Amino acid sequence: MIDYKEHQLSNGLRVLANYDECSVMAAVNLLYEVGSRDEEPSKTGFAHLFEHLMFRGTKSVPDFDVPVEEVAGENNAFTSADYTNYYITTPKDNYETALWLEADRMMGLNITAEKLALEKSVVIEEFNQRFLNRPYGEQWHTLREMVYTVHPYRSPVIGLTPDHIRDASLEDVRAFYERYYNPSNAILSVSGNIPAEQIFEAAERYFGSLPALPRPTRNTSLTEPAITAPRRKVIEAAVPANQITIAFLMGSRGTRDYYLCDLLTDLLAGGESARIYQHLVRERQIFSAANAYITGEMDKGLLILTGQLNPSTSFEEAEEALYGELRRLVEEPVGDYELRKVQNKFEANITFGELNVMNKAMNLGYYRMLGDMSLLNGEVDIFRSITSEEIASYIKDNLNPHQSATLIYKKK
Amino acid sequence: MKRPEIRPITLPKVPHYTTLPTDSGAPLYTLHNSTQGVVRVSFVFRAGTSYQSTPFSASAVVNTLTEGTQNFSGREIAEGLDFVGSYYDANIDRDWAVVTFCSLKKFTSETLDIAEEVILRPTFPEREIASYCAKRKEQLIVQRSKPDQLSRELFGKALFGEKHPYGITSHEECYDNLTPEILREFYLSHYNSSSAFAIICGDFGEDVEERVRQILNNLPKGEAPSRIIPPAEPTTLARQTMEGAVQSSIKIGIPLFPRTHQDFIPLQVLATAMGGYFGSRLMQNLREEHGYTYGAYAAMINLDQSGYFVMSAEVAGDHTQDAIDEMFSELERIATEPMSEEELAIVRKIIVGDAMRVFDGPFGAADVTIENIQNGETNDYTERFLKKIEEITPAELQEIAGRYLQKNACVTTIIGAE
Repeated sequence: MIDYKEHQLSNGLRVLANYDECSVMAAVNLLYEVGSRDEEPSKTGFAHLFEHLMFRGTKSVPDFDVPVEEVAGENNAFTSADYTNYYITTPKDNYETALWLEADRMMGLNITAEKLALEKSVVIEEFNQRFLNRPYGEQWHTLREMVYTVHPYRSPVIGLTPDHIRDASLEDVRAFYERYYNPSNAILSVSGNIPAEQIFEAAERYFGSLPALPRPTRNTSLTEPAITAPRRKVIEAAVPANQITIAFLMGSRGTRDYYLCDLLTDLLAGGESARIYQHLVRERQIFSAANAYITGEMDKGLLILTGQLNPSTSFEEAEEALYGELRRLVEEPVGDYELRKVQNKFEANITFGELNVMNKAMNLGYYRMLGDMSLLNGEVDIFRSITSEEIASYIKDNLNPHQSATLIYKKK
Repeated sequence: MKRPEIRPITLPKVPHYTTLPTDSGAPLYTLHNSTQGVVRVSFVFRAGTSYQSTPFSASAVVNTLTEGTQNFSGREIAEGLDFVGSYYDANIDRDWAVVTFCSLKKFTSETLDIAEEVILRPTFPEREIASYCAKRKEQLIVQRSKPDQLSRELFGKALFGEKHPYGITSHEECYDNLTPEILREFYLSHYNSSSAFAIICGDFGEDVEERVRQILNNLPKGEAPSRIIPPAEPTTLARQTMEGAVQSSIKIGIPLFPRTHQDFIPLQVLATAMGGYFGSRLMQNLREEHGYTYGAYAAMINLDQSGYFVMSAEVAGDHTQDAIDEMFSELERIATEPMSEEELAIVRKIIVGDAMRVFDGPFGAADVTIENIQNGETNDYTERFLKKIEEITPAELQEIAGRYLQKNACVTTIIGAE
């Protein structure tokens, strides 16, 4: 349960405050409503590259990290398909330094050709480290290409290829910054032992003089058409074990289908006692490891079933076993006990996830972006309202082989 | 916009724990913070991998405590924990095994019902152990196709020696030889009243203390586990190529001593300056100036009977040697030039900030306490540590760096691109 107060500055910046009287730390989170989905198809990976550039200094603060370190702070950021998130934690008496830094780089970023060149090489090494120099490293590139034909979720956040990152120009940087980085496209959230009124007053002092620019429109018209015939790809590679991954398109964030998918993947794989682990890993020993989860984007994301095969398992057996678990949820409705279990677990995970100021500030920003603040503390109730009939009918209608994309890694 | 003034940072108050007596002699420590409605109980045993005589037996024991007990099947244990949303964590390093239960306050009693079984009455059932071994063997094969895992293993062997308890790695086939008997024997001799302590942290009352005390009282009686840790036998250079690698994983280290040694804290300061934060020397050099890597790090690592300084980075394959040269040049610089007061001020704040962040949230204090007790200290250590950080001088750091951080003492390992 996160208490909060909310305020909007005249330039459009949304500000949220959570009062935490226990912590000696404060967290300042700044979320920009721009992610890899907003990129042009020939310039993928740019939102993430840009996130790196946000640490490359402004005219008044040439090195972003130094002032953070001078107040014993820590900062980082991440880019997702839907948004870009920056956060700084500091001892609470120095949280204004974080506000000042964020306000400064919202408008004053100073990127030179040298800085851009250097950051490109860092991001390309990140690409190499995480996606090329790893077994199965390219699986998300392949899977997303198989599922998404029109929607920009086709490209992973890191980008389709290192070439797109190499090609990024200073002009691209300037245009992206002007379009997306302004108060009306940002959400500031703060958690700490600081009264909300003080936070709003400080936000006004640091961000209030920034210009009111139009909020950029996002391309939300593209809807990925349903998959109607099975898609399948086999990659033969020097991987340590055979692997199967089945992906389905699922409901967008905020729809009831979204929560159904979340809950049904919890039934399958939310904890040691869950079905896939108990039946397929422990009892039948088909997989050495298996999982089910949702990717959680705002538009239609993916529901994933995946497993690494034990040496004696065939691909047919593995695939049939995963579908078998889905069928069982349809044929034998889930009992109350099991539903209560995943609902309890959902509630506990939320409590454990709200124990520090950083997570609280981050959640405030994220739910504000979703547009429905009642979800911030309301998702447990939604989860508790789901019935076994709903799950069965969702699976029957949506999780069939002809609606899937299957990626197989065959060990060379 | 004017920069806000920097307010002085008040050092975090290190919470003090209470020690409760038990009949078995295994101590129980408690730390109360009652605002968040959550409870964590950790059981700590001298049962790390350096105590094992059969490969993988120590980790197999801690990882299969929940696979079956006298009164519950593995499945019932998993069900019981999942039903109340509690989580369970089993952790092992070279020296210690730590078993942790976290629950909502309202479900502490249900969680302790299971904890009691898991700690006191594991049975290591035949079928589950066989399945665990098969699964871990596969997972290890997967792990060993990744450069970071290979790099960790090669480094451990090069730093301590192939047969050394802190450096040894075993072939995955060794999982085929593990039996429930071997596990039971390890459990009885290492999960006993002379090897254990427990800590409760969070929002709880005397009833919870009493239950945990009972668990400690009923541990098998026995002698404290023993082992022999010989001196390290380092190898200067070890290199292993990996087909198709586009990056090289580099580690450079120096075998030193545990945290109880008086020079450990200065070396921690030096390691932080080298690679403990974004503005650190290695990060600035390898990532920011040269773009060789996504990240470069340095740290002092504490073991019960040893310790070491380490620098690491995964770098573009064609810059492997360049990166190594830069790492050594940074090592030489820190040992021959005094650190500026400005840099030291930043490093101090990084260390203090990290310490404060640990105490954000109800459970960080438990981790700090466990580490202090493992090292034979109390939480006063953390206060002394923070005080030492404030007092240390560039001259002292340079002297210590000159004494220990010498190129000719270094072990270098490289995994990856040819």
